[in-house]
Amino acid sequence: MLEALWDRRALLVSGKGGVGKTTLSAALAVAAARSGRSVLLVEMAPDEGGPSALGALVGARDVGPKVTRVRPGLSFVRLAASEGHRRFLQDTLPLRWLAEAALRSRALRRFLEAGPALREMGLLYQMLALLRRTRPDGRFEYPLSIIDLPATGHALAIAALPRTVLALMPGGPIGRSVQEGLDFLQDPARSAVLLTSLPEPLPVSEALALASELERLELPLTAAVLNRMPEDPFTPESHAAVQRLLATHGPHQGARALARLERARAARARLAAGLQVPLLTLPELPVTGPELVERLAEVFTPRELAEPTREAAP
Amino acid sequence: MSARSLHQLLRDKRVLVLCGAGGVGKTTTAAALGVAAARAGRRVLVLTIDPARRLAEAMGLPESGPEPTTVPPERLFADGPRGTGRLDVWMLDPRLVFDRMIHRLAPSPEAARAIVEHRVYRFLSDLVAGVQEYAATEALDGFLADERYELIVLDTPPSRHALDFLDAPGRLSRFLDERVVSLFGPESSSRGGRLWQGAQALVGRVLDGVFGAGHAREMRTFVGAFSGLFGGIRLHTERLRARLASPDAAFLLVTSPESAALREAAFFRDTLVERGLPFAGYVLNRSWAREDALAHPEALLEHVSDDPHAEHGVAALSRLAATERARAESHRTLLVRLAEQLPTGAVAVAAPDAGAELEEFGGLVRLGDALAPG
Repeated sequence: MLEALWDRRALLVSGKGGVGKTTLSAALAVAAARSGRSVLLVEMAPDEGGPSALGALVGARDVGPKVTRVRPGLSFVRLAASEGHRRFLQDTLPLRWLAEAALRSRALRRFLEAGPALREMGLLYQMLALLRRTRPDGRFEYPLSIIDLPATGHALAIAALPRTVLALMPGGPIGRSVQEGLDFLQDPARSAVLLTSLPEPLPVSEALALASELERLELPLTAAVLNRMPEDPFTPESHAAVQRLLATHGPHQGARALARLERARAARARLAAGLQVPLLTLPELPVTGPELVERLAEVFTPRELAEPTREAAP
Repeated sequence: MSARSLHQLLRDKRVLVLCGAGGVGKTTTAAALGVAAARAGRRVLVLTIDPARRLAEAMGLPESGPEPTTVPPERLFADGPRGTGRLDVWMLDPRLVFDRMIHRLAPSPEAARAIVEHRVYRFLSDLVAGVQEYAATEALDGFLADERYELIVLDTPPSRHALDFLDAPGRLSRFLDERVVSLFGPESSSRGGRLWQGAQALVGRVLDGVFGAGHAREMRTFVGAFSGLFGGIRLHTERLRARLASPDAAFLLVTSPESAALREAAFFRDTLVERGLPFAGYVLNRSWAREDALAHPEALLEHVSDDPHAEHGVAALSRLAATERARAESHRTLLVRLAEQLPTGAVAVAAPDAGAELEEFGGLVRLGDALAPG
């Protein structure tokens, strides 16, 4: 179901906070790397401090604005606005000394840190620079990037940014590079947005709202992933029989899990009905952290690609 | 540590700040704690940002309004005698808070208009990192001076790291720092020596190069219009910081069993302590840690005779019961480990998983009672 995704240059993993977006991003990247692809896993957090949840999941020791290789085929980077600013100034300003002097100015650094849209702009610019980077043979250095979008209340703040910036400053170097970023993000041949949710009423409502927001922003929503679907050991008949028994004889152990399962089923049905794209359901697994990443990666690994790679391994 | 302590916090504190990543149920927890405190007799304001619509409905809250809304006493005390407490709720509108602040701080109504009607300002809340957070702190500062409220429960904007809330206003006020602004302000500024003028000329060239001359000019008039307001803004930020560091305040981290709870919790505690802010503990939300003494599903079999569907159903329910036990066990372990990292006086409380029932006010009352039994 996800085959179509692997040919894109950028996979943007979106979703409200708490739905397992970061774990899914890591699992997708591990799956892509296992299938023999060269993949860059990107953390696009609006803040630069604190521990990196995404980096920890793939065992990245060095979390910073420099790309680090974490295993064969898999590299990790945490985008930093300051790094984007540096590149931007170097690429844009006509004189090298001017860019260097600008970078040394504390006032300018502070301004770039907090000025309207400049932080997000820095993140976007660093991302674009990584996407553009080529090897000596002319091929892309990172043919596939998987981007864990920020988990703020407005999960799409960064995706929505290009439009806001363009409305504010249509011309000039910032306007031009933001336009380039927007063209990239909106191009369904190069980008795909993956929507993640949980099988609970509120997350599904939020996911549906996010889907219409994506449409409004003309971003190519390509697939949705429903994470942590609880196990369903019933047949329709046995479920009905148990409901009758519980209604007569009162709650027993397992009632909480049953209520949760029933909520999950209803939520999944509502999500599937409300979306125009394929919906992949992932089972709830009794593991967490890096172990969960590896298990989910198995679900994602493209089979037809995985086989030859395994044979080629020593 | 017991839930008793959370009750004490609700009784004694002036400000309760709830931090946490997005999606952990922070808003619901803030609402439930506000309900519990008001039912215990205090005059409470819950300040929230972007609540889920159904929660807003359950609280009887318009989606946003210019002033706090009072929860009708007949709803607050639906199940018993009417108490003396009161609950107001305000869904924060950052734009409104900002407009008010500018009108209050600007030297003249014309100066305020020059900012508020500026094209860049209209994009401000979309563009400047930290506007929501800044608006929250600004609103909090205003309400702390308001005699109407004895306790303010602040539901901070969602962020990846629980403490982003504290840093964002700082970033914004650094941007609005006088020295930075005067660099970008209208070039006529006569202050400073040659070095300063040199810096200004450099910034001018950089801005023209980066933004294009047109937008750079626009930005300058905008930033220039802000000069004069900074004293007030900085004063607020510092006053609020002092208040949040006082024993009147308490910071709680809301976390869920699913998120990387332990790591996040330790980071939160350390950062607060480092900054001299009063760390009050953790709320482990949507927890199944609570024991309920129910019979095993197999007991149902005595009511079943020769019904393969019912037998299959009971076996399936037994599987779910096993999952449920494992989940409850892991949540209990997590709670114990959270409690292990607590400094004296702090609490670690589990909030029961309320499922879908929080769509009505009664659900908030039950959650509040479970969190802080009186």
